[in-house]
Amino acid sequence: MNYPRHIIALLFVLLGCSGIASGNNLDLSTVPDRERVQLTIYNSEDLTLVRETRLVSFKKGMNPLQFSWANTLIDPTSVELEFRGQAGRLEVLDTTFPHAKPQMLYWNVRSEENVEVRIEISYFTSGISWAGDYVAISNPEETTLRMEGFVRVSNRSGEPYANAQVRLVVGKINLVEKIAELARMPVARVQAMEKREYTKLRQKVARKMMAPAVAMEGLVVMDMEESAVPKQVEKEGLGEYFIYTIEGRESIPDGWSKRLRSFDAARVPLKVVYRYRKGEYGDRLVRLYLLQNDKKSGLGITPIPNGKVQIFRHNGREGLSYLASQSIKYVPIGDRIELNLGVDPEVVFELIKERVSRDNIWIRLNKGRVYKRVGDGSFIVDHKGAVAGWDERQQFNQRIRNYTGQKILVEIRRSYPGDVTFRSRLDANSHDYRSVEYTSEVAVGGRVDLRHEVITRSGYNAKQQQVKVVGG
Amino acid sequence: MNIRLLLLLLLAAIPLETMARIKLITLPVRERVEIQLDSAQATLVEEERIVPLIKGVNQVDFSWANTRIDSDSILFRMLPAQSGSEVDAKVLSVSYPPNENALVWSVGADRSGSARVRISYLLGGLDRSFHYRAVATKDESSLRLAQYLRLKNHSNESYAQSRLWVGFGDQLQRPVGLNETKDLLLKHYDQVQVQKRYSVDVNEYGYIQAAKKKLKVPMHYVLKNDAAHGLGQVALPFGKVRIFQQDGKGSTTFVGEDWGRFTPRDDEMELYLGVARDIVVKRTIERRERNKISGNLYDYDVVVKYEVENFKEKPVMLDIREQLPKLRAELGLTNRRDVQWKLGRDTTLPAGPDPEKSDADRLLFHVDLTPQNSSGKVQKQVYKLHLVLQNEWR
Repeated sequence: MNYPRHIIALLFVLLGCSGIASGNNLDLSTVPDRERVQLTIYNSEDLTLVRETRLVSFKKGMNPLQFSWANTLIDPTSVELEFRGQAGRLEVLDTTFPHAKPQMLYWNVRSEENVEVRIEISYFTSGISWAGDYVAISNPEETTLRMEGFVRVSNRSGEPYANAQVRLVVGKINLVEKIAELARMPVARVQAMEKREYTKLRQKVARKMMAPAVAMEGLVVMDMEESAVPKQVEKEGLGEYFIYTIEGRESIPDGWSKRLRSFDAARVPLKVVYRYRKGEYGDRLVRLYLLQNDKKSGLGITPIPNGKVQIFRHNGREGLSYLASQSIKYVPIGDRIELNLGVDPEVVFELIKERVSRDNIWIRLNKGRVYKRVGDGSFIVDHKGAVAGWDERQQFNQRIRNYTGQKILVEIRRSYPGDVTFRSRLDANSHDYRSVEYTSEVAVGGRVDLRHEVITRSGYNAKQQQVKVVGG
Repeated sequence: MNIRLLLLLLLAAIPLETMARIKLITLPVRERVEIQLDSAQATLVEEERIVPLIKGVNQVDFSWANTRIDSDSILFRMLPAQSGSEVDAKVLSVSYPPNENALVWSVGADRSGSARVRISYLLGGLDRSFHYRAVATKDESSLRLAQYLRLKNHSNESYAQSRLWVGFGDQLQRPVGLNETKDLLLKHYDQVQVQKRYSVDVNEYGYIQAAKKKLKVPMHYVLKNDAAHGLGQVALPFGKVRIFQQDGKGSTTFVGEDWGRFTPRDDEMELYLGVARDIVVKRTIERRERNKISGNLYDYDVVVKYEVENFKEKPVMLDIREQLPKLRAELGLTNRRDVQWKLGRDTTLPAGPDPEKSDADRLLFHVDLTPQNSSGKVQKQVYKLHLVLQNEWR
């Protein structure tokens, strides 16, 4: 499981000033080592911006530099070379992508004198990703829970990164091309498909992110020995995004993943609610944990990125009960977090249709017909007609039985299409023009019968497309 | 054993990728295993181990070859020390090697000593179900209900002594072997009052002789899950119920089996035992009159007649059920509107519909059937259900 030899290589090619296209078969090269590496990983896209520094000695005159990235997922159009210090005395005269070697380039650097310079090479690669995941464990009474957030960085880029500063970008950036697709193409094809917009957008987006970053030279380098206390993950806002910076340095060999704790909120206040909302949770009553991504809860420092949550409850015997796992979407600071635990078999939820009647029936009359009986000559006038409008009255009983060990709060929201009046003595409200919501508490071992009438005006009687809530 | 926990005796500075060369390891054994079977979705296994830690950073390797552990569900929790000499240890990071069912925890400890840890994970292939064995008394007035847990272990992992918990009742302590199926007695209820229910429902059960309009009369045992009937402590999970009856000679006879649905407290579990041949119910629609109100709007006057004969030697109760949308369709009236109905004055069924089990679409009446008399003569009991289906139109 040793790191493979670095696949990305920078060679200082000792050739004559005639440049790299000399056709010589024998080259003499030196390999300047990586000094520092910084990875900025965008989880919304398969994109990582890598910045690495190396110390290189340049002689006066022309200096060919070869950079190659065989079997990696680097976007060749994104590779850039910059000089740290010695401003103006070094200059990249040209960049050449040799036809025969698709994952390689040469820079011709002109130096005004013999000098040792720290260079910075940056490029985009795919194959490095990060994802958030969470573990939520409630106390036995379900009044608080401990919520731990983690970030898992996975390296499938083909290149090991040792001792790298790792930064994770929370938010969705705009990209016009997929890096992985670009990496597999010869550079000529990539350049042929390049558009001004492509370069402008993608380079702008990711490099702009880097602009306010701490310069790598300024970083405090940790000792190689791992600290015995958990690393901190610093969070800072940056425009529409958040950047998580993992304390110190991480080594992530190719193929490996590493998971670090991002936050740990020990006592997040928790509210248990039962909800019926067919559109959101399906045609069933579900049990929810509701919490808030705010400072009062010990959270609220950053938005919570998309991720999977494993939900457990302490069973009071040092053990856990598994409740559910679900994916959550990005939760902004201050917003509510909903953890859906599914149906609780200890709560019985039944909608009983008790009675139906129709009234206010209107008949559309057509032309009448007259019938005469043979014999006595009596007449009958029969007006032909058809029902054109009516009111349908449905009396419902929403029955809830609670066999849990705690009093429960139930929130019900139902939608009614058409021109509807919702009549009840419940404390019901309109949620929107076609939905009604009401709540009820159910005591331990208790049963409630929430009776209500739904009057639907149909056919000719229907004048609106909304539900009206009335008492009585 | 496919699930292994290794404590790798490394210097903290040795990177993960060199681990394959390390041969010096300790194997902290399982001190305790709990298998939580309370979730219908997944089985949670919790292993407690005593892990010797050195001051600084420790690498703890956990691997699960050939088992279906959900790697996202694996938790490593430090438990309070029982001896009082507590090591303050924390998980620093978790590393996942490529192409292996394994992970490596980096655990930081403030000093050397042993730490009690609990490792939890969701395990596939270790499934549970429930089943029941009911033994009715000879007079079928009560039964003894035994509830069993069936544990099927195809997880490719064995657990020597594990505590099993299904979410109710007591914990059970049993070994769980490889590819083993275990039936474990969870609970028995000695005096469960049972009701024999004879019922007719043309839509649900159909006819036994359609040409003669004779209905099928299934017989069910009905167990009400409440304290008054000897149950009511917890909801009864779904499972097969095998039913036996005491024969009065010290033995029992198998009388049938049925699937018992999930039964919350205060609900009834109905177990079908077969069709009763000595109760004969003939159902006919005696009247179907259309009364015009206006235009195409009508009321329908409908009488359903039940002629019932009980050839049994004892009185029984018969449940007569009607599903009103289906009855309307039987009359040739099809529309998607709800049925508006009222009971007509010609109804002769005793009492009214059962208020708990009747609603806008369903009616249930209970009828007491008299047995044949001592001379073997059976009285035919005739009942009528008179309904007015109101405000119907095509």
